[in-house]
Amino acid sequence: MTAQPLIRAQGLTKRFGGLVAIEDVGFELYPGEILALIGPNGAGKTTVFNLLGGVFAPTAGSVAFAGERLDGMPVHHIAGRGLVRTFQHNMPFASLSLTDNILVGRHTRFTGTLFDILLGRARMRREEDDARRRAVELIGFVGLGERAGSDVSTLLFGEGRLLEVARALAGDPRAMLLDEPAAGLTPAEITRLVDLIRAIAARGIAVLLIEHDMHFLLPLAQRVVVLNFGRTIAQGTPLEITRNPAVVQAYLGEAASGFAQALSHA
Amino acid sequence: MRRFYKPVLWLAGIAGASAIAFMLGNYATDVYRKMLIWIALALSFNFLFGIAGQVAFSHFAFAAIGAYAIVILSVKLSLPFGVAFVLAIILCTVLALVVAIPATRLEGFYLALATLAFAQLVTVVLNEGGDVTGGTGGIAGYRLPAVFGVTIRGPWYTVVLVLLVAFTLFILRRLDQSYFGRACRALRDNSPAAAAMGVDIARTKVIAFTVASALAGLAGIGYAYVDNVINPPVFGLENMFLLLFMVIVGGLGSPLGAIAGTVFLYLAPFLLEPLVGPGFLVVFGVLVVLTILFRPGGLAGLLSLVPARKPA
Repeated sequence: MTAQPLIRAQGLTKRFGGLVAIEDVGFELYPGEILALIGPNGAGKTTVFNLLGGVFAPTAGSVAFAGERLDGMPVHHIAGRGLVRTFQHNMPFASLSLTDNILVGRHTRFTGTLFDILLGRARMRREEDDARRRAVELIGFVGLGERAGSDVSTLLFGEGRLLEVARALAGDPRAMLLDEPAAGLTPAEITRLVDLIRAIAARGIAVLLIEHDMHFLLPLAQRVVVLNFGRTIAQGTPLEITRNPAVVQAYLGEAASGFAQALSHA
Repeated sequence: MRRFYKPVLWLAGIAGASAIAFMLGNYATDVYRKMLIWIALALSFNFLFGIAGQVAFSHFAFAAIGAYAIVILSVKLSLPFGVAFVLAIILCTVLALVVAIPATRLEGFYLALATLAFAQLVTVVLNEGGDVTGGTGGIAGYRLPAVFGVTIRGPWYTVVLVLLVAFTLFILRRLDQSYFGRACRALRDNSPAAAAMGVDIARTKVIAFTVASALAGLAGIGYAYVDNVINPPVFGLENMFLLLFMVIVGGLGSPLGAIAGTVFLYLAPFLLEPLVGPGFLVVFGVLVVLTILFRPGGLAGLLSLVPARKPA
């Protein structure tokens, strides 16, 4: 991890009126790394995502992505920079086909102007054909191959989670923010998701995830940032985290020793 | 293969629709021409409402602006027709932008109200415009001048309207089948997710509104020379609601559905009026409610004119 960090969040603070959602949160995320953000409900995890994704501007602090300041940038500029997110709840484009859902994820990679579209320039058709080919590849990559022709409204919940991931991958991101990707999945689906996230990181994409399922998360993440009441209470490897008394007290509870044991044997 | 087959289909459609023009008597020609104008308006309104999800009531107002602009510029100001035509289109586009930039920040109900207010404003201006707009009586007694030395009359003008419909359909299909069209549908379905994927929500909405409204203006220009009369009531809210019905009954988001819905609802009164008199509007209302409740896909869904998009 001697490379430059892809994302550097420093002193992130967000207040909503008198309510402090997060205060002085900072971390670094490197290419190909899997970093987890954990903490009790209301700790401010999704707020961190919303600050990185441009939904809100931070009250104080900064987010740098590949050296460029992202904080304060409108949401739609951020995906084009190579930072893309999924949502805690599935948010498909219900009236679009599965392929078209994924193609929307590639929106920022189309270079043709409106005039190119109206004139039907060959370049536009090439881009479109190319994007469709990639969408089909991605559908296979996330394991939705059998559902390629399906209506998105017929997808099962777990398949919808995979669609979120495929759609986020479609724009060739350099970093992905996954908001509780494993929530509501069956154990078999979780196993598949772990492989998928590892495969994504192996492509050099930095992954930041929020998760409550520690059985899923701790073996997967390389580093963990723990939030409580909007503040960072610990940062470190999964093993360090499970042995940190503050984290055990605030979040992991009695299960922590079990996790620690499982991790040290792994 | 498909790339050769498609232009043939377009040409056949245009030729077929044009051939009809030469078979019709005076009355039927009038009915047919107005139906073509309705279709052109329904296609662009379908793009705005059905695809981009903007509930806008300004569509006929832009048709009025196009129609009045071309007549006022070419007749009252005696500009050459080509110049008047270009200026009328520019006027529609600029006004559409002026309305769109603040209005598309509004969602659903509020956009409907803002565009309704604009439509009412246009109607007031047309009624109170004195000599310029001809007031409540509108403007009459002009004819389509020779364009580049060519005088277009009779069935040939109907052919022009067929080409207007084809042009509208062509432009909107190109947009719909591109990343722009996908962005429009995506932001209608879920705008936070679309923004997260990099779709500039405001810009996409403004472009959709402006293109659709400019095309409405173009249809208005076409309408101006159907009866060689323009007056305010034609561009009023009653027709605006009928257009809304046509697009809903046809099947929101489907261009072929918009055409089917328009033909159906435009021709229905000719059959219904002798039977139930002005009560046909009630029949329409019931039809729309039934469509929304039981067949949200409209006629397009019923006739499966919208196959589930080709699986790639």
